[in-house]
Amino acid sequence: MTDKTIASNRSSGLLFALKRVPWARILIWFLLIVMLVFCVMPLVFMVTASMMPASDIIKMPYRWIPRDFHVENYVKAIKGNDGSFTFPRNILNSLIVALTVAFTTVLLASLTGYGLAKFRFRGRNFVFMMIMATMMIPFEAIMIPLYMVATGLHIQNTYLGLILPFLVSAFGVFQMRQYLLTFPGEFLDAARVDGMGEIGIFTKIVLPNCTPVIATLGILSFRGQWDNLLWPLLIVQDEKMKTIPLYISKFAEEKATDEGAMMAVAVLASIPMFILFFALSKYFIGGAAVYESRKG
Amino acid sequence: MSDDREASAIMKKTTYRGIEKKQARWGVAFVVPSVLFFCLFSFYPIINAMFTSLFDKRILSLAAPKFLGLGNYIYIFKSASFWNSMRATLVFTLGTFIPLLVFSLMFATFIYNICGRRSRGFFQIAYYTPAVLSSVVAAAIWLLILAPPGLGNQVLNWLCRTPGVDRKWLANGTMLQFSTMLVYFWKYIGYFVILFITGLATIPPTIYEAATIDGSSKWQSFWRITVPLLKPTILLVSVMAMLQCLKTFSTQYLFTQSGGAAQDPINVITLNIYETGIRNQRIGRASAMSIVLFVIMLVLTFAQFKISKSDDVDY
Amino acid sequence: MKKAIIILTIVALIAPMALFAQGSKEASGPITIKFWTHEDVNRNPLELQYIAEFEAANPNVKVEYTTQASGKMADIVQTAFAANQGPTIFNLPISDEYAYIVNGRVAPVDAKAAGYADYQAIKSAYVDGTLDSVTVDGKIYGLPLELTNWAILLNKGIFRDAGLDPDKDYPKTWEDMVAVSEKIIQRDGDIITRRGFDFRYGYYLEWLVPMVEQLGGKLISDDGKTAIVGDDAWLKVLTFMQQWGPNGKNLGSSTYTAARKLFNKNNGDIAMALTGYYQTARIAEENPEFYASGDLMVIPFPQFKDAVKEVANCYYGHFYMVNAQASKAEQEAAWKLIGYLLSHGDEYLDKAALPQPTKKLFESPEYKAKPYTDVFSADMEKAHIMYYSENSAEMQKLLKSAVESVMLSGVSPEKALATLKASAQELIDEN
Repeated sequence: MTDKTIASNRSSGLLFALKRVPWARILIWFLLIVMLVFCVMPLVFMVTASMMPASDIIKMPYRWIPRDFHVENYVKAIKGNDGSFTFPRNILNSLIVALTVAFTTVLLASLTGYGLAKFRFRGRNFVFMMIMATMMIPFEAIMIPLYMVATGLHIQNTYLGLILPFLVSAFGVFQMRQYLLTFPGEFLDAARVDGMGEIGIFTKIVLPNCTPVIATLGILSFRGQWDNLLWPLLIVQDEKMKTIPLYISKFAEEKATDEGAMMAVAVLASIPMFILFFALSKYFIGGAAVYESRKG
Repeated sequence: MSDDREASAIMKKTTYRGIEKKQARWGVAFVVPSVLFFCLFSFYPIINAMFTSLFDKRILSLAAPKFLGLGNYIYIFKSASFWNSMRATLVFTLGTFIPLLVFSLMFATFIYNICGRRSRGFFQIAYYTPAVLSSVVAAAIWLLILAPPGLGNQVLNWLCRTPGVDRKWLANGTMLQFSTMLVYFWKYIGYFVILFITGLATIPPTIYEAATIDGSSKWQSFWRITVPLLKPTILLVSVMAMLQCLKTFSTQYLFTQSGGAAQDPINVITLNIYETGIRNQRIGRASAMSIVLFVIMLVLTFAQFKISKSDDVDY
Repeated sequence: MKKAIIILTIVALIAPMALFAQGSKEASGPITIKFWTHEDVNRNPLELQYIAEFEAANPNVKVEYTTQASGKMADIVQTAFAANQGPTIFNLPISDEYAYIVNGRVAPVDAKAAGYADYQAIKSAYVDGTLDSVTVDGKIYGLPLELTNWAILLNKGIFRDAGLDPDKDYPKTWEDMVAVSEKIIQRDGDIITRRGFDFRYGYYLEWLVPMVEQLGGKLISDDGKTAIVGDDAWLKVLTFMQQWGPNGKNLGSSTYTAARKLFNKNNGDIAMALTGYYQTARIAEENPEFYASGDLMVIPFPQFKDAVKEVANCYYGHFYMVNAQASKAEQEAAWKLIGYLLSHGDEYLDKAALPQPTKKLFESPEYKAKPYTDVFSADMEKAHIMYYSENSAEMQKLLKSAVESVMLSGVSPEKALATLKASAQELIDEN
């Protein structure tokens, strides 16, 4: 399928209609741009506000271009209101937890999805439905019993405590299973006939062909953990083990905080996510990626 | 002679079943680790919660809790606070997930058909950036924007040429609900646009060719081909969006905690559960509400799957 | 296969129960004390210093000191206790702490460990009545870290800017407060850019109840059986709040930045804030020019013009309490630490502006000589402790709901009062 045919097929759809209504194209671009502005403006606000003293932020009208770079905001953000520099440590904690969870989720979800998609065993559908049902359990419902499990294992204030309850996600299992259902079984059978072991098949044939789903799942898991507020709030009291959302919400509630420092914290806390996202975006974006992966 | 054939037939059956059994065992082996995990970290807690919901358990009390049977359930079904939460959650879910579904499909179609390759990626990335921020950060930013002297009022007043009008984003009950929906929409639109574009890309263009040859107009093509073939994606998106909206917590929590917003208009069920269980210490009643929410989500998801199964499209 | 899965599932469900078999904690070796408290920029470093001294003097005791944002403390401590993993020492406002006493989660004071001869000695060391809220059945369950009431801090500069004379025109009644705020307020259309005063939303038990009491109403009847007494008083206060908010005179609301956060900056955002003595220490640290300028003034809690009683803002207390599930050795060490910390009343006052309600401190000339303490002390004599009970957190929530509904959601005061009465009655009927 060459780009040209794709282009002609895609465009023949809507553009044909548009040739009759020329202003429609302008309207569509206009709508797209409005949506773009809506999505991006709060981020621009966050960045510019982080460079201003708080009094400028709440004055009307908002001056989009800061007078100068108010470094104090960033200094305060990193130092913390008590001057203890826990912020870098908290970023590190969040990174460790999020990366580990992303890794284990991808691994376990693909194992499970593969087992559910490509193997037949009794109770398979039952297991799948039970796992799906866990997606519907609201976290608030299981918060306290989960806390009791975690403290029973004595993993409070530890990385294990932050990671363990999120080792694998039902959504990840769902994604992998759906994707692998359409994976051609002939390759697997051929490999088996060639004498390859099941583990080998999994690691050498299945996994490499799942890159877009794996990347997507990895990013989403990372993001989910990076954002997790309630669980770390319960399980971690030790300042040095806290994660970024805890730091941000504590910072926000402290009486000495002002809006400028708050935005500086927000910017700093978002940078790792942005880096990850932009680095892996090509796997994540819909359309082209799917086509390319179907080459096999 | 027939004995041999019988013997070989039996042998074929057993070896075939042997391979099947081996396959089955491997399948189970692959699946067991996560099943164990879910048992410990999902099933045990929810069953524990079901159990707790039958008692009048208070968080701090060391005494044995009073057995209420269905007492908690009867109480919440009669309580105004519970129904207010149901209303708030329903309004929020419908008001968010329908626009999300409609607009993400719309924007996905626009981007897929109008944009060149480069701008396609650009738009998707740009629309997704709100989702990259953590909820605490997003709430902090939006609270500043929606505060009376914030950007929300300024931009709207500039557009409508009405200087100084306070739209009461956080003060007025209806506006407050709208504000939470707005923030949610802002956060998730990019993700669903990407999902739809992925879905759109899986439709082979040959179908459109065939339809055009058969004399179908482009508008007809969209409704008769694109939408039906997108059904699996639409189903996926609507189930996910609906579940996300029903489970919403952090936006409402942060708005009422740090934003000074009134709680009653946006007292969604998860917030009510949190407050009843943790603030007011009534963990028994909170568990009952959680079970109700859980059942609602199960039923709605099941219903959605059932509806979509009835018109599966093959090509 | 199915059978195996079912058996496996059952085992997996039962296995966690085994995890919860916790042996009793025997402390024969080094003792670890978990100390949880709320963040306070001035108090935390002070206490860390004392803890270091304590650990040096008691080498077999190790103290783990963690701080949380004050808004979150109640939730976190509660969750920990729910899982039987509570900290050894913690402090919360008494309205949140009372439930711990009632449920037997905290241990009575170990007088000797804390440095007192006996209970009598403790009682006589503290100002009369300040230990009442933690005394149940003759046993004392906590020692006070602070006993604080709120008065109104005033920024003279903004008054003068609005053409008022702060020494003469400061508001003495709530009606005055409205009039003064209207003179000071600056708006851009509907949007307020400078406020005269704003309330401390979320803490209604502290200031709303006294306002009602000024007009003759009560939160709970004297016999403890009826909730929300004196409809007229309540209606008047709710109507006052409605008039204050965006649907009335638009003088302020909970959606603007909290007054006490803006006040210290002296940026012309707000002229008055309802807060405690500790805030003066924060201003001295954050904005020394403002503190030294002489523009800071403290005035008493306003009274309604036709008040039948003079009632000032309630005071609340933070008490250090000890977990009843800690081992005997841990409890003893904990009370020893608490006694040691609290023995430094002077530094708590000097460095953190936290007055402990010891007789020694309150009646000392140093305390009386400190700026602004006279207004706070005078107000405290007209005040009572804020409402505390097993359900006080929920009561706070009900008041919040009522005020928010009239101020923001346009509910009529009569309707809000009816709802409040019904829910509050249900709450105390449970006890």
